[in-house]
Amino acid sequence: MSLRRVWPLVALAALAVWPWVAPRYFVFLASLVLVNVVVAIGLNLLSGYTNQLSFGHAGFLAVGAYVAALTTIHAPAVPVVVTLLIAGAFTAAVGLAFGVPCLRLGGLYLSMATLAFGFVITEAILNLDTLTKGADGLRVPAARLGGWPLSSDTTRYYLTAVVAVLLVAAAVNLVRTRPGRAFLALRESEIAAQASGIPVALYKTAAFGVSAFYTGVAGGLFAFVVGFLSPDAFDVFLSVDFVVMIIVGGLGSVPGSIIGAAVVTVLYDWLAAFQNYRPLIFGTILIACMLFMPGGIVRALEPLSRRT
Amino acid sequence: MTAATIIHVVASGLATGAIYALMALSLVIIYNATRTLNFAQGEMLMMSTFVAWAVQRALGLPLVLTLVVAIVAGGVMAWLVERTIIRRAIGGTHWDVLIITVGLSLILRALAGLAWTHDEFPFPSFFPSAPIVLGPVRLAPVSVGIFGGSLALMAALWALFRFTRLGRAMRAVAQNQRAARLMGISVERMYSTSWVLAGVVGAVAGVLVAPVVFLSSKMGLIVINGFTAAVIGGFGSMPGAVLGGMFLGVLENLAPLYLPSGIRYSVPFVVLVAVLVVRPAGLVGRIERRKV
Repeated sequence: MSLRRVWPLVALAALAVWPWVAPRYFVFLASLVLVNVVVAIGLNLLSGYTNQLSFGHAGFLAVGAYVAALTTIHAPAVPVVVTLLIAGAFTAAVGLAFGVPCLRLGGLYLSMATLAFGFVITEAILNLDTLTKGADGLRVPAARLGGWPLSSDTTRYYLTAVVAVLLVAAAVNLVRTRPGRAFLALRESEIAAQASGIPVALYKTAAFGVSAFYTGVAGGLFAFVVGFLSPDAFDVFLSVDFVVMIIVGGLGSVPGSIIGAAVVTVLYDWLAAFQNYRPLIFGTILIACMLFMPGGIVRALEPLSRRT
Repeated sequence: MTAATIIHVVASGLATGAIYALMALSLVIIYNATRTLNFAQGEMLMMSTFVAWAVQRALGLPLVLTLVVAIVAGGVMAWLVERTIIRRAIGGTHWDVLIITVGLSLILRALAGLAWTHDEFPFPSFFPSAPIVLGPVRLAPVSVGIFGGSLALMAALWALFRFTRLGRAMRAVAQNQRAARLMGISVERMYSTSWVLAGVVGAVAGVLVAPVVFLSSKMGLIVINGFTAAVIGGFGSMPGAVLGGMFLGVLENLAPLYLPSGIRYSVPFVVLVAVLVVRPAGLVGRIERRKV
């Protein structure tokens, strides 16, 4: 069996046994990593593949999280799978509604519009306080699956892991299909793509929808994993963190998204011990990373994987 | 609402807008020369203002010299950053450089926090606090001062880019790097110059705005408004940056008069998206025609 085939199996096995071998806190941390992996893949499908860099994905995450939380609060009987699908679908609809008017925007203009989107979302959460409890925050009840509440770290971890694996597999397959190749063509040159008969507007909008769907589902998972939502958790800095994840990991690469999300999330958590020095160390690592590994970690690892 | 109130609000809006315009200009200067976005511009402004404040407190300098200290600090810091970090990433994509400046902004904010804590400090004002009364209209001297100071700096920048050899070289690099290099312009030196210039503009903006918003490590967030202003105007265009900044500042100050307080912070962003939907390359920007 080639190494390409072995890697996913090893990863699956590791994911499956993790709650048995790791202390409780690391089970929670792993759930958080998996949530961020889903966001990073969603963002990378948009930014890395179709070259539309978004600084508003914390906004999409917030939409998904609040939709999932409110669904669970007001309709406790709905199974968690449906809740997550609702969160994803709703966020995708928001993404499309936002993506269509932004179709004409390129580069920095799109980034700025997405940044604006993120601000408007947090503001909207604060203002819809009858629904979202505004700045006080919203406590999320445990998700339910067929009558069982998923109330322990381990059950929530498995929920997140299963969803993340499914979404990673979907992304890996998506980028190999016709739309996936169209996305890549869009990144290389919009004009060349258009000249080759790719419906540019359709695929750019689709990328927005898919990306928002991923982020919305991740938002739902985030709501259940963390158990408490408040608008200030979804600020611009979170959006910037997501961008950092995909650029440090590698733009336009699914493994890159996974590595980037894992590295940034674990690093952030680990650096918490350094308190005031955390941003200092994190910033230095970012700079070193980009100076010595331009193009991200995945590009730096490429020669290694080719040799084997 | 009386006309006098509106004039007063528009005046303070123009003052805020002038600061946004300076932020936008410093972003555009770097972007035009190097095609990268400096995420750390706000933190550079914050740092130079902090240094000026600390020096002023330690030595008891007159206020005018504070401005000089800030300008020197801003310029030197920008030069150091460009030469030691950004220059090394010259082969990378502009996404790489963007992340480097994100890292830089984190470092600068953390350093300021370590040196001066994350509290807010009052910054001495250049201008008296008694309002200027013109008939029924009352203007805050600080608004007039900020506006005037910014206009003077903008005029100086305009003259620099329009009339000097250096300015012409910078415009040439912005237009076409290869052609500029063939004409004997050192593109690398223009990179440094653009960073220093942006650092200096940021430093002036910092000293002008600090008395109004207080000095704190979070001051750098103003870069987002500068970025919004630059995009509204049309990124890459210097008149656009000024126009966008003024527009944004006035709008931000007028909005609370007519809208409930809950949504006023969204106003700039809603307007931004509205402007971009109508004019996808900003108010004065033109869509770049790219070839395959």
